Amino acid sequence: MSGANTGARGGGVKVAVLSFAHERAETYARLLRDMPEVDLVTADPDAAPGDPARGRAMAERLGVSHVDSWDEVFAARPGAVVVTSEVDRRRELVERAAEAGAHVLCEHPLAAKEADAKAMVDACDTAGVRLTLASPACFGGAFAAVRQGIADGVVGTLSTIHGTYHCAPAARGAVDGGALGANAPFLLDLVDAVLDGEPAAQVYAQANHVLSGQSGVESAALVSVRYPSGTVAAIDCGWSLSPAGGPFVTFVGDRASVEYDACPRLLDGFDAATGGARWEPGGADPYSLMLKDFLSATGDGRRTGPDGAAGLRALRVVQAAYESVHTGQPVDIAAP
Amino acid sequence: MRQLEVALVGAGLIARFHLDAWLGAGAAVRVYSDDGRAAGLAREFGARAVGSLAEALDGAGAVDICTPTASHHEIAMAAIAAGVGVVCEKPLAATTAEAEDIVAAAERAGVRLYPAHDVRFAPAFARLHELVAAGRVGAGSVGRFFFSAYHPRPWTGHASARSGGILTDQMLHGVDLAYWVFGDVVRVHAYYQGELATPAPEGAVAVGAAVLTHASGALSRVVSRWTATPRPPVRVAFDVSGTGGTVRYDSEWPQEVRVADGEPGNFGYAGESVFAAEMREFAQAFTGGPEPRLGARDALAAVRITQAAAESAWTGRAVELPVKEAAA
Repeated sequence: MSGANTGARGGGVKVAVLSFAHERAETYARLLRDMPEVDLVTADPDAAPGDPARGRAMAERLGVSHVDSWDEVFAARPGAVVVTSEVDRRRELVERAAEAGAHVLCEHPLAAKEADAKAMVDACDTAGVRLTLASPACFGGAFAAVRQGIADGVVGTLSTIHGTYHCAPAARGAVDGGALGANAPFLLDLVDAVLDGEPAAQVYAQANHVLSGQSGVESAALVSVRYPSGTVAAIDCGWSLSPAGGPFVTFVGDRASVEYDACPRLLDGFDAATGGARWEPGGADPYSLMLKDFLSATGDGRRTGPDGAAGLRALRVVQAAYESVHTGQPVDIAAP
Repeated sequence: MRQLEVALVGAGLIARFHLDAWLGAGAAVRVYSDDGRAAGLAREFGARAVGSLAEALDGAGAVDICTPTASHHEIAMAAIAAGVGVVCEKPLAATTAEAEDIVAAAERAGVRLYPAHDVRFAPAFARLHELVAAGRVGAGSVGRFFFSAYHPRPWTGHASARSGGILTDQMLHGVDLAYWVFGDVVRVHAYYQGELATPAPEGAVAVGAAVLTHASGALSRVVSRWTATPRPPVRVAFDVSGTGGTVRYDSEWPQEVRVADGEPGNFGYAGESVFAAEMREFAQAFTGGPEPRLGARDALAAVRITQAAAESAWTGRAVELPVKEAAA
């Protein structure tokens, strides 16, 4: 891909994780550290000094290399960056990455405001670098098989998509606010992939804060989305008291329905050590799959995972959903 | 690193899965089969066919024996004599005596010997073993290992009911799992039901139910069934308990992809094949990597315990197994 420093195929690639604000950054750094073809560097200059979960302290605990400023990390000419900073830092980092010719993997949301998100997508397009949203359930052979099956007609004509994603309260550094902004994008990305990027026409949403106990931090949200083709997506996202598993989506057509479970139960039972249920997940590690796919040189131009345009579509639906929560009525999304 | 050369012996269904997996693991494969099917199989996968066992073994780093059980001993001994490492489909041999012979020969010759107990490479069983090995189940108490399947082709060959007939191979899966999880077995009792002897028709029905007493005190129930219909074609379930809790699995549980209503047709997703993981692990071991998750000791134990189960079912008596020092 022109303008990108991906490193020679078979050679190493320098990858920068920008910053440790998001609690998933640690997982990414650990996985990247253990990939032999990756030369990892981290940077977290916004970290409060002395915070053991941030900055150099975290890098040292992980045994990964660390630099003290954004300037230094971009001067190292990474071929790819993983943006896990606070939301309001992401535009600056993604624009700098694009300018430096680095492919970008970015956590949802790209930005709090649509205009910032659009600027980020345009910057990456102009620079000829990939912008991918960190949506693990979209990667891997199982979801690819589901997409292909639907395209081959296994459900007949697709009309309805029902998705659920309940997990622990919003990850530190993910979003300001609650479950709707934090979880809906993962389900919207799966819908977007199967609908080949059809933009939503109308959104209705309701939310509450029964589990969070704080107004402004919604802990449950039900979102209904209608697409111009008539497809309806019904999304349920929220906090769970018993977090386990990942997005679960049913694709319904006029002949059959297919269920996709991004994190199915492999084993269960009882764990005497915790006094609770035992639950071992099946499937390959989703973060590892996503990182490997992101880093692999795509000679044929085929990309898996939501790109910047898909991230923007998800953002528009989420914003319309928040508006609908407040008005109590469906909100139309103007075609962009 | 020099590419591993594998001599694949046999050209039936299992040979085809193994061939695909060896090639996926980066090995070069030459195929030999005494039924004339080697050339067709080799051509289909872009491998080389050879005309004799000697030619197959010449320059090979490993042999992979995918022939009917009766020929395992002869081929394994020829490979060991030629200094070629051995991968062998289950069971290692038809009798304990032949299995012990092969294991002792491999040990004397310093040659690797790995049984292709492919079920150990399925995620559910591998994860069970990881949990047990990490102490997460504590001291083992009881395990129940259930396998059932439909045999979609007639049974060929001649195996007597006394030998366990159509049950022996399938019992080996559950027996191997029980041994992997709970260790050495000291006593076996089994009841077998159905038309056991081969040849037998497609869809022949039989059930075996065994009780294994382990040296540790743990107990295993191994159930093996050949079903009358292919719905479902295969089912595996286990329930393992110890002082640390329980671990359960049922292949009926939905995994990543499921057609919830309507006709699936050919659609499905099964994840990585066990054979891919298995041959990758064996190939790494043959080219200087770590030892695989199983070896000669496991091959021998599986044969001893399954033979004991068949003997018990035939005689009506529990069979004691001395805990011998492993040959390998």
